[in-house]
Amino acid sequence: MSKKEIGIYIIKKILLFLASIFLLSVIVFYISRLAPGDPLVSYYGERVEKMSPEEHDWAMEKLGLNESVSVQYVKWLSNAFHGEFGISYKYKMDVLEVISGRVGNTMLLGGIGFVLIFTLALLLGILCAWHEEKWLDKIICQVGTVTSCIPEFWFSLVLILFFAVELHILPSSGAYTIGKEKDIADRIQHLILPVTVVVMGHLWYYAYMIRNTILEEVRADYVLLAKSKGLTKNKILFRHCLRNIIPSYLSIMAISVPHILGGTYIVETVFSYPGLGTLAYESARYKDYNLLMVLCILTGIVVVVCNMIAQTINERIDPRIRQ
Amino acid sequence: MDTDFQIVGIRNTEDRTVGRHTKWYQGKPLISALLLAVILSGCLCCHLIMTKDPGYMDLAHYNEAPGGEFLFGTDTMGRDIFSMIWYGGRISLLIGVLATFLSTVLAIVFGSVSGCAPEWVDSLLMRFTEIFLSIPNLLLVILLQAILGKASIFSISFIIGITSWPGIAKVVRTEVKQIRNSGYVIAARCMGGSFQHVLWKHLTPNFASSIMFMVVMNIRSAIIAESTLSFMGIGLPLEQISWGSMLSNADKALMTKSWWIILIPGLFLTVTLMCMTNLGNYLRKAVNRKESYL
Amino acid sequence: MEEQSRTYILEASDLSVSFETDAGEVQAVRDVSLSLKEGEVLAIVGESGCGKSVLCKSLMKMLPGNARIKSGKILANGIDITGYKERDMAKLRGTLFSMVFQDPMTALNPTMTIGRQIEEAIKIHNPHIKRDALEKRVIELMGLVGIDQADERRNLYPYHFSGGMRQRSVLAIALAGNPSVLIADEPTTALDVTIQAQILDLFRDIQKKMHTSTIFVTHDLGVVARVADRVAVMYAGKIVELGTTEDIFYDARHPYTWGLMQALPAYAKGKEMLHAIPGMPPVLIDPPRGDAFACRNEYALAIDYEKEPPMFRISDTHHAATWLLDERAPEIKPPSPVCSSFLAEGDQREGCEGTAERKKTSVVEECQNDAENRETLVAVNHLTKSFSIGKRNVHKAVDDVSFRIYKGEVFGLVGESGSGKSTVANCVMNLCKPDSGEILYKEIDTCCSKEFRKNKKMLQCERQIIFQDSTSSLNPRMKVKDILTEPFRIQHITPKRGTLSAEAAFQLTYVGLDNSYLEKYPSELSGGQRQRVAIARAVAMEPELLVADEPIASLDVSIQAQIVNLFRHLQKEHGFSFLFIAHDLSMVRFLCDRVGVMHDGKLVEVGNVEDIFRHPKHPYTKALIESIPIPDPHMERQRAREKEHE
Repeated sequence: MSKKEIGIYIIKKILLFLASIFLLSVIVFYISRLAPGDPLVSYYGERVEKMSPEEHDWAMEKLGLNESVSVQYVKWLSNAFHGEFGISYKYKMDVLEVISGRVGNTMLLGGIGFVLIFTLALLLGILCAWHEEKWLDKIICQVGTVTSCIPEFWFSLVLILFFAVELHILPSSGAYTIGKEKDIADRIQHLILPVTVVVMGHLWYYAYMIRNTILEEVRADYVLLAKSKGLTKNKILFRHCLRNIIPSYLSIMAISVPHILGGTYIVETVFSYPGLGTLAYESARYKDYNLLMVLCILTGIVVVVCNMIAQTINERIDPRIRQ
Repeated sequence: MDTDFQIVGIRNTEDRTVGRHTKWYQGKPLISALLLAVILSGCLCCHLIMTKDPGYMDLAHYNEAPGGEFLFGTDTMGRDIFSMIWYGGRISLLIGVLATFLSTVLAIVFGSVSGCAPEWVDSLLMRFTEIFLSIPNLLLVILLQAILGKASIFSISFIIGITSWPGIAKVVRTEVKQIRNSGYVIAARCMGGSFQHVLWKHLTPNFASSIMFMVVMNIRSAIIAESTLSFMGIGLPLEQISWGSMLSNADKALMTKSWWIILIPGLFLTVTLMCMTNLGNYLRKAVNRKESYL
Repeated sequence: MEEQSRTYILEASDLSVSFETDAGEVQAVRDVSLSLKEGEVLAIVGESGCGKSVLCKSLMKMLPGNARIKSGKILANGIDITGYKERDMAKLRGTLFSMVFQDPMTALNPTMTIGRQIEEAIKIHNPHIKRDALEKRVIELMGLVGIDQADERRNLYPYHFSGGMRQRSVLAIALAGNPSVLIADEPTTALDVTIQAQILDLFRDIQKKMHTSTIFVTHDLGVVARVADRVAVMYAGKIVELGTTEDIFYDARHPYTWGLMQALPAYAKGKEMLHAIPGMPPVLIDPPRGDAFACRNEYALAIDYEKEPPMFRISDTHHAATWLLDERAPEIKPPSPVCSSFLAEGDQREGCEGTAERKKTSVVEECQNDAENRETLVAVNHLTKSFSIGKRNVHKAVDDVSFRIYKGEVFGLVGESGSGKSTVANCVMNLCKPDSGEILYKEIDTCCSKEFRKNKKMLQCERQIIFQDSTSSLNPRMKVKDILTEPFRIQHITPKRGTLSAEAAFQLTYVGLDNSYLEKYPSELSGGQRQRVAIARAVAMEPELLVADEPIASLDVSIQAQIVNLFRHLQKEHGFSFLFIAHDLSMVRFLCDRVGVMHDGKLVEVGNVEDIFRHPKHPYTKALIESIPIPDPHMERQRAREKEHE
């Protein structure tokens, strides 16, 4: 592929990316404004109920909520271009500031979960494929199916019940004990249960996928040729089959990011873990528009970028498809 | 001459049908089917089983551990968990079925149109699904719920249904594309078969089997979604009993260490989901796999 | 004894191999004894499912997990390797024996360059080889198998290569460890005729240069005649006849061998019908008592149904397992075409005056009488169709093709894969729209949508199509009777036989299946039976034009003969015109009146069958006809000598 073609390819991808994000922001903006409920509640709390109509109108005007939705959107967009996303109604702070305080926590939880999920999934996948249809494979598959059926929120509850309430060995909520923000051991303690839930909720889905990809690969004819030239079983598996599944493995990883992110959102709310998930949940419930927009767009960017990475991997890395 | 050595030519030997070695029950998810049948019939005939009125708050007996009068104990508001399980299960299952019905209909329409339409329409539709998928599901559900106002069985089924069709739609699309290019459809078109004929005689019977698996799995995820939403307080309210809403006052139960309030409904939920998964896996098109070369 | 075992490189004695399946134990190989001398080429012939491929894989112990060797021994250079573990076998593979596979498109790892795959094969048995020595060896091997510009090409991925080149690469990999035995499992079946000829020549070359012994598995007797020194004929998991190539071709003793040969169009010259073996090969789960072939054998003796025949010795080199060789059996004169006199006369192209005479007279008559007043049914004029590959590349699948099909004739369209013959068929059937040109059916321009709509019903009833893949051409969820009556239901026509079910029953009997099949689903039928149902469905409407796109390509030799006979029979009865698309030239020669040869989307030659086969004008046609393997070892050897002289 020539340099020019690569250039065109990249430009195309960027344009597609911008278009997707734009569309996403429009949809979220309109849906959130169309929803009934009073956004002032998140700003003024209970006081809204006692406001006179004049006060109410004044408050609406102050927050720019009295104009038509389209005008609001245009304003929001032009401000967004200057890097101003407004203030959070609930926290009375700049939205980006609110988010930046939380994003690290979510990345920590999601990142550890992601790494664990994919290392374990690969190992389990290989183990199962190696012992295909033998008892070890069968047991792992059965246990895996069971774990994949347990709803994440319930699993969290059960873990809290046992480890926090009954045994008192692990904390039940939060990201750290107040006053111990810098204590690494304390942070790890707080992470153990949420990470366990995130990993258990996704592990088998990906391990099973990898197992089946490998099993498909060992049925390809080239395995027979490799065997007939004298390669041993593990050399065929590691040098040929695993090598060939790497592109699909990478693209599975890329696509999975939003899924795992979605999983952490649920887990965060159960464990009251101060991350983006709890923030998103609150902002949607209490109509914290500015915060909600940025969160949606942030998640949307992650999703779109990951999908694009997966697509690029599929299209460019695998010589079979590159043809 | 030996009669054995006379030419007799081709004789019709009896048609030897090859008997199956395996018993009829082998490879079938019998235990799952049985358990699911028990739970299903229990939920459907809950009026016969329930020992108490599930909605009645017996303030004298709140947070009571499982025992004689209250088989599975009572919750923080004094409702009988045993009765709630069957009564709430009915609603959880109903939501699963309703949501799946909606999403399946949407998916079939969308997938069939995408699979039959010219290429540019197809790619447009696929782009649309991608963008749809890139809106975080949970946020979308929260927003939709907010638009629809107070949650009810139908609103929550609608929301779950409308957010979960893209998966099946993709399967339908590939399936339709594959069948459309198969010899029997081409032959039918050559013979002058109308679109109607192809649709009803060829397409529908052939992809029905392949989406059965997806449908069962979708019921499963709809039930999970409902319970998660109800638990988070966005779904059904506390008074509307379902397996999810029964768990929504879990934080109070945690404080009082009332394990039965958390464990029992969750166990029922998980077992149901597990049985459905097993059934779904069984329904999945049995691929005739050749043996591994390794 | 010692002497003998040393001369055999590979030996199998009483080898039995079974598969565990859900339906029961499949006895794929049953009591096979076989030996391979140094430097010889042993061909194993048989139809699909007869166990020949399993036999090869079991020799290298490369069987899948559900298979196991039940009894017998495998000796390599006199050493028993039956009990060897995987690790020991891995050491033998590649050095003692290696394998070449049927489908070169899938046999190579798609994500590795050709060079690296060959390197890997060298390194396995020579791990400390130096980098430059390794590279030299790779280039040497690629040169050996006839891949030129090896230095550049070794960095290419398999998808850059054509089928023939890939098969050469597979061969290079197989030869990397200097094996003493090369096992080739249908290595040319997936290739086009001209490429097949090249690969067969390559095998012979290499075999001469390196003195490797070869086991060559194939179902094509023509290929056998070209490459083999000795032949083993397999049926239902057993070797039924074993002998030198001459023994088998000129003095066959087993009725199955007779049947296989007679089924070939080359032996049917001068006859109306091919000699088809009736019935189907048995299922190898619980094989029948006695001789497995008895129920398809017109010479079956009473004892064949009772007791399995032992191997009878005919000469030192020739053995056959049939009770006909027992001294108590009645004398049977082998059916005439198999005796050598027929073929010994020489060139197939010149030799079969009988048919030629028959065909010639008819052709001459036709030419004289009807040249002008023969009615044209289909006229294809300047047909062009291109497909776009990617964004910029346009592939011209059909390029300015013109021909006509007369009423009541069988028109054959031959060509290698990708020559555009199927596209022509699809255009004729309105399945794809040509870019330019016209197709006139009874003077109606079917490409013009207005005209097509006006005559829609007539066109849909009078033109029918049969596909290659009978599995996909029948709806798996419809019963045979529903499949057969589908055209009537679509067109709302009352069938001739009154009711739909009567019609279905009639059509089914007509194509040679009994009424018990009416209630069955396609998956319960064999490939040949399914193709019969597809034919019945097409013929039920009593079409004027029948288009068949490679209808026999995926069937076994004996079933092919049955289907071709059926076509012949139906065409005679109905008198429809028949567009027969095939790559098998000898079948086309047998079945067709006129033939068109396609090459790269162009129609290079059209004419009467005999004219084209006897005096091909276009060099491509010539090359095509010359590459057909002839099932006669003498002639093949003569050809080889001629080639060497050149």
